[in-house]
Amino acid sequence: MDALGSNAKRLELSQVKQTLKKEQRRLQLRRFLSNKLMLTGSIIIVLITAFALVGPYLVSYDPYEMDPVKRLQPPGAEHLLGTDNFGRDLLTRIVYGARVSIGVGFSVALISAAAGMVIGLYSGYYRALDQVLMRICDGLMAIPGILLAIALVAALGPMTENVIIALGIVFIPYVARIVRSATLVVREETYIEAMKAQGASAARIIWMHIAPNTLSPLVVQATFIFADAIITEAALSFLGAGVPTPDPSWGNILYDGKLVIFKAWWMTVFPGILIILTVMGLNFAGDGIRDMVDPHSSLSFKRKKKK
Amino acid sequence: MTKPPLLEVNELKVHFYTERGRITAVDGISFHVNAGEIVGVVGESGCGKSVTSQAILRLLDEKDTVEYDGKILFEGTDLLQLPEAGMQKIRGNEISMIFQDPLSSLNPVFSIGSQIAESLMLHQQISKKAAFEKAIELLRMTGIPAPEKRVHEYPHQLSGGMRQRAMIAMTLACQPKLLIADEPTTALDVTIQAQILDLMLELNREQGMGMIFITHDLGVVAELCSRVVVMYLGQIVEEADVETLFAQPRHPYTKGLMKSIPQMDSDRSQKLHVIEGMVPTLDNIPTGCRFAPRCPYADYMCHERPPAYEEHAAGHKVRCWHAEKIAQEEEERSYVS
Amino acid sequence: MNLYLVKRILALIPVLFVVSVVIFLIIHITPGDPASVILGESATAQDVEALRQQLGLDLPIYQQYMNWITDVLRGDLGESYFMKESVSEAIFSHLQPTLSLAILAQIIALLIAIPLGITAALRRGTAADQTVMGFSLLGMAIPSFLLALFLILLVGVKLQWLPVAGYKPLEAGLWNHLKYLILPAVSLGAIQSALITRMTRSSMLEVLNMNYMKAARSKGVKERQLIYKHALRNAFLPILTVIGQTFGGLVTGAVVTETIFNIPGIGQLIINSVERRDYEVIQGVVLFVTCVYVFINLIVDILYGVIDPRVRLERK
Repeated sequence: MDALGSNAKRLELSQVKQTLKKEQRRLQLRRFLSNKLMLTGSIIIVLITAFALVGPYLVSYDPYEMDPVKRLQPPGAEHLLGTDNFGRDLLTRIVYGARVSIGVGFSVALISAAAGMVIGLYSGYYRALDQVLMRICDGLMAIPGILLAIALVAALGPMTENVIIALGIVFIPYVARIVRSATLVVREETYIEAMKAQGASAARIIWMHIAPNTLSPLVVQATFIFADAIITEAALSFLGAGVPTPDPSWGNILYDGKLVIFKAWWMTVFPGILIILTVMGLNFAGDGIRDMVDPHSSLSFKRKKKK
Repeated sequence: MTKPPLLEVNELKVHFYTERGRITAVDGISFHVNAGEIVGVVGESGCGKSVTSQAILRLLDEKDTVEYDGKILFEGTDLLQLPEAGMQKIRGNEISMIFQDPLSSLNPVFSIGSQIAESLMLHQQISKKAAFEKAIELLRMTGIPAPEKRVHEYPHQLSGGMRQRAMIAMTLACQPKLLIADEPTTALDVTIQAQILDLMLELNREQGMGMIFITHDLGVVAELCSRVVVMYLGQIVEEADVETLFAQPRHPYTKGLMKSIPQMDSDRSQKLHVIEGMVPTLDNIPTGCRFAPRCPYADYMCHERPPAYEEHAAGHKVRCWHAEKIAQEEEERSYVS
Repeated sequence: MNLYLVKRILALIPVLFVVSVVIFLIIHITPGDPASVILGESATAQDVEALRQQLGLDLPIYQQYMNWITDVLRGDLGESYFMKESVSEAIFSHLQPTLSLAILAQIIALLIAIPLGITAALRRGTAADQTVMGFSLLGMAIPSFLLALFLILLVGVKLQWLPVAGYKPLEAGLWNHLKYLILPAVSLGAIQSALITRMTRSSMLEVLNMNYMKAARSKGVKERQLIYKHALRNAFLPILTVIGQTFGGLVTGAVVTETIFNIPGIGQLIINSVERRDYEVIQGVVLFVTCVYVFINLIVDILYGVIDPRVRLERK
């Protein structure tokens, strides 16, 4: 009887081990899959960034040099992607445009992440401040982003820096909201209470202990904002309310392309594809990071009740 | 007078296709339910009792992940051969089902009345107004006070017991010949449990419908059922009428289940009996007797070869190598006491 | 009257207050004086001063805000200096095209998203599901104006099925009206549908696994009704939220799309005003569109209660 009992236990233990192993294998697979998403995204981003950074040294034309004779040449040996309506080399314009578009997107992500983090942390920590700051965020978020950006750029004047500032203001509330809710969760933890009891200063608690816990949602959100900012910049420039001409940005090239869309498809298609690729890469990366830091977000709906 | 049974399940097998391969959740079970009879199906969670009940109504996702084998004869018709449209005529009309958790089994966005009326309108030529009136009638029958008012309320507005009564009203709407109750009282308070059981017993007597009562609670079985089927890991291990089963259990698993019922008159300092080990997963079924790894009687034979399911006495079937030995033991024990 | 509704409307007051302050301040962060901007470089100092007084720019800033907001609350959004008409009139005369476009785009978005989302949910894991999800990922990476340009290239230039620019009001006949709106509405709606499809799919998946679905099936409910009556109504709440939220995107998209297709709507009004630095109009349009957006989200909240009795009754 005893021997049988322990036998049963041994059997049970080996079963548990087996189940655990299986579970582990499945988890690894999931990690890999979500990594694959991130991997694809990262590769796209790295390639396009390299394109923007190294590209200018590889192309042999000047992005501003006009040549009326060579207007609207289709893609060919001399001009790989053709020329635009001013006779400028399209590939060169797109390469330099990548610098502007990605630069604007990245700066906006950085600015809104930094400012949004400060606002989110402090309004999450101080109740009174929260009321004021979050009402302001609600108000800003109620205004459709592109209208706010158009109005701000119109008021500040059409300069690339102003586009960055305007888009930064548009996206700050989206970061602040997320950092705030992460802060609210961490603030209730016992160790924060303990630190307060020990007399740690608010600044120390906020920056040393709460801030690190808000980083992963912040990074995810900043990645999505990066993508959104590229789209919005392109839209603004396309409307003639963004990066001023003759500076190349993907939106500006599309703006020029729209004027000659019936004659020069290449001016629309090539910058268009680059925008889509970049945004897709960033979205993939954002999704990938989110799946890694929070495995529940994407898997929760895959659970299936079985009995 | 060999009237055919209302429901006859014959060598039913249910396989699921999962990421881990084909899993057989129900492995060749046979039992029957006569008209007006209450049959209990007992077992731990994961033994296949819910799968069996849902297979009878073909509620399991048939499209790609499930495969059935065997026969489910309802009044002589094999339900497994019926097309989906034919099944829809049977569901809720001839056979209906009560689920474990009434709150999650009632659609939150429709009123109680409209959910009962829906059952009626699906199977009978009846106007919406008449269906609602009948719904009130049904609610009254199940003992819900002020049914004219309740009929317009939503599931979340009712208490747990009320919800289950409403659920019962819904299943009885078309006066089915067979009612499958899948742990209908597990999610309820103890006092409410008793009320619901009384109600079901009463309705069974009044309407004379057959009932399959699925539960893990042997106490409930003793109170309600006339015959009992004990399931373990996708198979039936013992079947007998309720008196025989309680007086002379012949399968070690049934014995174990009975010992784990707390008894009021027993010595409280004694520990409650627990069946050793845990139920193996379905993709990891033991080669011999499925219960062997947890069985105190298990010997070499049990681990090597699966026992047959045999009739040991009239109407008493057991799947165990040691059934005779256990029967003897039980006899001696009852003799002593 | 529902208490929840009152609370919800009261909560709008601070939001709209902040909106009005922000929009008001935008004009005042303009480097340089709006009056001299309006009059151009050739204006005399005297003219500028006269205009400053006329516009009330010589008053302290809070006084200016008070004057402006009092007018706004009375329904007076100011005068367009260039168009010599009131801003409200300008908005009103540009409203119909945008409204038509937005509604048509939303209908197209739902027509694409809901069936696709449901199909993907019902056939989870199959090739159909993966295709739908793939398109949805693609859709979320394409700005609608880009799709508009691609559609012009494809349908307008290559196939020449539909006009690629211009607008005919509804009075010119329904087909004439729609003909000009189809391409812009498809480009807007298709992009909107990407997010709604995803939401529909995940929301349906959740509902399909609910016990009440099995219970409904056990009553003999037919497959079609099971999905469209029992499941969809439950799955619709999160979908509705996304619809409300994407309306902002719809407006955004409409602004750009209108300029591409040369539709004389709100989008074109604001772009022309930006070019002319017609601040009163910019201010008025942004305020108006924001109010519409806020209002639509309020309606979404009210619809919640209509669809889900749990919400309705909790809020009483």
